[in-house]
Amino acid sequence: MTRTQPFARSVRAGQLMLLGLTAALSVACGGAALPPPELVAARDAYEKASTGPAADYAPASLDTAKQALGKAENAWKEDPKAKEAETLTLAYIAERRALTSDALGEAAKARKDRIKLDQEYIELQEKRASMTEEELERVRSRLAIASQKAATSEAELAKERAARAEAEKKLSAAVASLAEMASVKEEARGMVITLNGSVLFTTGKYELLPIAKSKLDEVAKALQEQGFKKIVIEGHTDSRGKASDNDTLSERRATSVKDHLVSQGLEAGKIQAVGLGSTRPLDTNDTPEGRANNRRVELIVTN
Amino acid sequence: MTRQTMFVTWAAVLGAAQLACGGAAVPHQEMATAQAGVRAAEVGGAPEHPQAELRLKHANEKIAAAEALIKEGDNETATLRLHEAAADAELALAIALKEQAKKDAEQALKRIKVLMTETRS
Repeated sequence: MTRTQPFARSVRAGQLMLLGLTAALSVACGGAALPPPELVAARDAYEKASTGPAADYAPASLDTAKQALGKAENAWKEDPKAKEAETLTLAYIAERRALTSDALGEAAKARKDRIKLDQEYIELQEKRASMTEEELERVRSRLAIASQKAATSEAELAKERAARAEAEKKLSAAVASLAEMASVKEEARGMVITLNGSVLFTTGKYELLPIAKSKLDEVAKALQEQGFKKIVIEGHTDSRGKASDNDTLSERRATSVKDHLVSQGLEAGKIQAVGLGSTRPLDTNDTPEGRANNRRVELIVTN
Repeated sequence: MTRQTMFVTWAAVLGAAQLACGGAAVPHQEMATAQAGVRAAEVGGAPEHPQAELRLKHANEKIAAAEALIKEGDNETATLRLHEAAADAELALAIALKEQAKKDAEQALKRIKVLMTETRS
């Protein structure tokens, strides 16, 4: 027991000495020393670069930065004091490499963005151009339709003009063939066709003579082709006999002409027959020639 | 001992003596690399962008410091400065490329906006 106690004390003392020596050595070797600011900066720079676009866009450069940081870390761990200058340089370089990697990553990303934007620009331009082309096509189409319509209208107009001219020609021809029994005048109230009563009717009668019918057929045909708004047929007599009889006779004669024209296809609703008796003489009623001129039927045609 | 063996022995002795005195070789290669890096950064447009220009300035300063150290015979420290200069020059070039690429992308975006405005109107 007495031998054992001094031995135990010496062992404990030895242990304490060893611990103290280890601690002293640890402090002497700089185990608790802080890394230099350059190395801290390099670590931060690498941390930023590795989480930025460099990871995707500049991996080789990022790897170079990682190796540079590794060298700096090793130099500091191996011998912080002896290699201080080299460690600082390696840390300095590591930080620059990390910053370079970060910048290259951002540059590559910006270039990729630009390529995408350029592509979008081209697509947008093409879209715009195609829109313009579509608009132009629509305008062209509208113009084509409009000019086609214009051509049609022009052709129709020309056709109509030709038809009218032809109808007028026929009417003139029809009227000319009636020369011995009719005259044509343009007055303010319209075109006035005056038919001689003695050629149309026998004295005191209102039935049309056959020759008068055939001549009126030509007039009806020409009027139908020419077209008209309205026809007023006026029956006139001379002043001989009773006025009331003359009124009745003139009206019936006008109606006879109307009926015949309607029978030839003219629209009844557009034709009005009136008997004016002897109220509107053209000539004197004192001579046989004058009275013959007063006995008449007038067609007033308005277009 | 042959003449050849003697030459090798002396060369080894002289080399060991130089190392023992801390006399590193003049860093010609490192100088060339750093200077080439600076030229590349200049050609790459570093002087046109302030951040890149600053890094370029650091590189030139480091080269100047290295030249002074070489004159003093401190080739070892000069080598370290030249390594730093090369890293600065490389960073200057990278920043210039980044700034130019960003500028180009902004231009492209602006161009699209103008076209879209024209299309709407």
